[in-house]
Amino acid sequence: MNPIAQEMQNIAKELLTSGEVTAVIGWEKGTFWYQSTPVMITSAEEADKLIWDEFCQPNLSKYLLDYRLNEGKVAIFVKGCDARAFNRLLQDNQIERQKAYLIGIPCPGMKDHKQAALVEESAKDSVPLAKVCQSCRYPNPVVYDRLIGSEVTPRATEPDFSDVMALEAMTPDERYAFWQEQHTKCIRCYACRNACPACNCRNCIFSDSKSGWISKDVNTSENQFYAITRATHVAGRCVECGQCEMVCPSNIPIMLMNKKYIKDINDLFGKYDAGIDIDTPTPLGHYKLDDPEEFM
Amino acid sequence: MIVIDKNKLTDLLDALNQSYQVIVPAKSADLTQFMPYDAVKEKNAEIILNENTVLSPKWLFLPQSEGMYAFWAKNKKLEIVDLPSDLEKMRIVFPVRHCDVQGIACLDKVFLDERHVDGQYLEKREKTVVMALMCNNPKDSCFCASMGVDRAHANNTVADVQVYDLGSEYAFEALSDKGQQAVEAIKALGSEKTVAVPEVKEQKIKVNIEGLPEKLSGMFYDSIWDSFMFKCIGCGTCAFICPTCYCFDINNKIRGEEGVKLRTWDSCMFDEYMLMAGGHNPRPGKKERVRNRFLHKLEYFYENYQMMLCTGCGRCLRKCPMNVDIVKFINQANAK
Amino acid sequence: MKVANTDEIKRSNDLEPMVGKIVEILEESTDVKTFRISTLDDKKPFSPLPGQLGMFSLPMVGEAMFSVTNQGENYIDMAIKKTGELTDALHDIEVGQEIGIRGPYGNGFPLDYLKGKDIVFIAGGIGLAPVRSLIMHCIKNRADYGKLTIIYGARSVDDLCFKDDLFNNWPKVENCQVYVTIDRPQEGWDGHVGFVPDYIKEIAPNPQIAIICGPPVMIKFSLPALSGLGFAGDDVITTLELRMKCGIGKCGRCNIGHKYVCLDGPVFTLTQLNEMPNEY
Repeated sequence: MNPIAQEMQNIAKELLTSGEVTAVIGWEKGTFWYQSTPVMITSAEEADKLIWDEFCQPNLSKYLLDYRLNEGKVAIFVKGCDARAFNRLLQDNQIERQKAYLIGIPCPGMKDHKQAALVEESAKDSVPLAKVCQSCRYPNPVVYDRLIGSEVTPRATEPDFSDVMALEAMTPDERYAFWQEQHTKCIRCYACRNACPACNCRNCIFSDSKSGWISKDVNTSENQFYAITRATHVAGRCVECGQCEMVCPSNIPIMLMNKKYIKDINDLFGKYDAGIDIDTPTPLGHYKLDDPEEFM
Repeated sequence: MIVIDKNKLTDLLDALNQSYQVIVPAKSADLTQFMPYDAVKEKNAEIILNENTVLSPKWLFLPQSEGMYAFWAKNKKLEIVDLPSDLEKMRIVFPVRHCDVQGIACLDKVFLDERHVDGQYLEKREKTVVMALMCNNPKDSCFCASMGVDRAHANNTVADVQVYDLGSEYAFEALSDKGQQAVEAIKALGSEKTVAVPEVKEQKIKVNIEGLPEKLSGMFYDSIWDSFMFKCIGCGTCAFICPTCYCFDINNKIRGEEGVKLRTWDSCMFDEYMLMAGGHNPRPGKKERVRNRFLHKLEYFYENYQMMLCTGCGRCLRKCPMNVDIVKFINQANAK
Repeated sequence: MKVANTDEIKRSNDLEPMVGKIVEILEESTDVKTFRISTLDDKKPFSPLPGQLGMFSLPMVGEAMFSVTNQGENYIDMAIKKTGELTDALHDIEVGQEIGIRGPYGNGFPLDYLKGKDIVFIAGGIGLAPVRSLIMHCIKNRADYGKLTIIYGARSVDDLCFKDDLFNNWPKVENCQVYVTIDRPQEGWDGHVGFVPDYIKEIAPNPQIAIICGPPVMIKFSLPALSGLGFAGDDVITTLELRMKCGIGKCGRCNIGHKYVCLDGPVFTLTQLNEMPNEY
């Protein structure tokens, strides 16, 4: 067993035995070798389920929403992006800091499980890192109560907007055709929304057909309305964990739109990385006198 | 049987496309699904024959959104009008794996239930020729054999033609009159031969469903649901990619004084699914919803129609974002 | 809009309503109205059994299932409480409004089984609506049934539905007793005050058949009261309401275990309910 997993299990046992937490949320091995999936354990005996490997990409922080009304404290393991997601939920007033015990794990980057699903396990080493991980700037948890292992050097210091720039280089018609093709594939399962830590509205307009904003007719135009509205709503709050496109069954490059927003926000309001701390207000969530106002 | 060389696939599809609208599994924009052959050619998409598609062929019979009737309302007046059929030509779908053929058999139970035959569904079924492909290269997520799917012979209440993969050739055997006509249309491309049904490779996943509905009928209040519900994030992926999930919603699409009543796919995992006008929700949380989905597949449907609402196609094992695993569930339930 | 012509295949769809019209609207209480519905050529839209359901729609707003509360030669009645988007819109319509209607759906009350027996009807609030269809049936076929006892409660006088029946029509029916109660004392009310379950114990009806419908809390406390009086599980009959879309057991949402309320219900005996998962 790898030393990180060993330490995860030890800590989980310790926290559950001492009663400091009522549950621990981590990862367990899934059905196939390329799947590691969220698990919640409530007793020390179950600690041996916990694992750490290159497929632990599911972001665990959002599961805390299911337990926000619980009395006790819940422990979760956080990679860099889980920690940013945790800050996201804190800053959005969805959870309370003292009700979570965060065990940080510096993350070497997770493999692209969709690529992995196409090959045999023997070819595991050839599977590339997930796209968001390739240019990750925050592999080390930005918030934690306890850290396992030692911090790693980030793969990048500057955000990688090369794909966004390629999109910007298209003509409007080309760009429109590109998104049309992508959004035609959307089946409106809302997995992207449900996996996203920034999508934490208790009542989502897309779950309420009576709100009148969108019908349940699945066609390119309504799918696009959904995609653009969601991207706009998480703009300035996206923590770049890439869960949205990792869970998309239709392989829509959802992060591309999110990154376009991040790039525009950086250009308009100055560089901003969401979820790094909870004190800096989100760029679209507050008003400054020197905000650009060329549209006025 | 008519045996046709695989090299002649394009000729075969072109021949069929003259008298039918041909539907094939294909990959376009990084997604595999069943698409009209014309669209495949137009988009230069790749026909995918060596594995099953991410999206099942159920949309051919139960589209994700489908108009049922149109209406016009102004002041106190109301008019309701039928919509025209959207099927101009006979369709032929080639090839459908036996798991997905079984999926159509499940849909038939519901929509062709004698008590209320669904006209729109019936029309689509009657105007579609299903060419079933015996699939002898199972993936690691396949478990159709365990779910009672005959891997050598497709369910012949659904399949019109049985296709066998002989390696470098396909063998076609008509199972119905509709199927016979389709085979006639491609006969010239091959030759009549006697063919031995190829052997099927064993599937890695094996699961025991004997006595499962009876067992589950006593497990509604079991603690198994407490642990099984945890991973679920309440999205509709499982229901929408599933070849058998058929639950639908009825809603409106309105423009001015006119509107169309739509039938759209729905998922019992969505929080709005069962919410009543007064605010009461009989399945308020993910535990109740996960339980309903699994019990519908493995117990309720069996009680109503004597078959499982799961064909072992393995799509949800691969695509559930958080890996809520129905096989693992069955194994744990059996162990109780 | 593209409209089908006769040359094209006409798609039969059980989910397509017929156009009907509202011929009369009766105010039952502050938030309940009865809508009397006929076809455009003044016929009865369909002939439901007591307890069966109908799907009523204003296509521009939505469609919902309601119980048919009564029927006449050329109409059916539906009593509808204002609780959501569609019912709000329904409460705004006027006589002459054309609406969508389809049905009947569900099983209805087991009339053969009830024949010749004493029946106690227990209802709370809008729960009297489905029960009323059976009361009206028993009154129309008075000789076929034994003693009728009606126990009805609501939060206040304003919430009592079908007041004309409760205070004028039904008490005059032969061998029929009507007991009405409200939850809390109210000025001008000299009738019984208290909750339905307690009132049942007080009245202690003869244990043959009980037909019960009302809010979950009323049902919850009434059932023990009935078993205390000796009512058997097969003889306590209730009618359920869940969210329904299709009415024909296909859309999936109104299931309780493998039963669909729209198809196998809405009428269930207590024995049946006890065998079903507690998910309604």
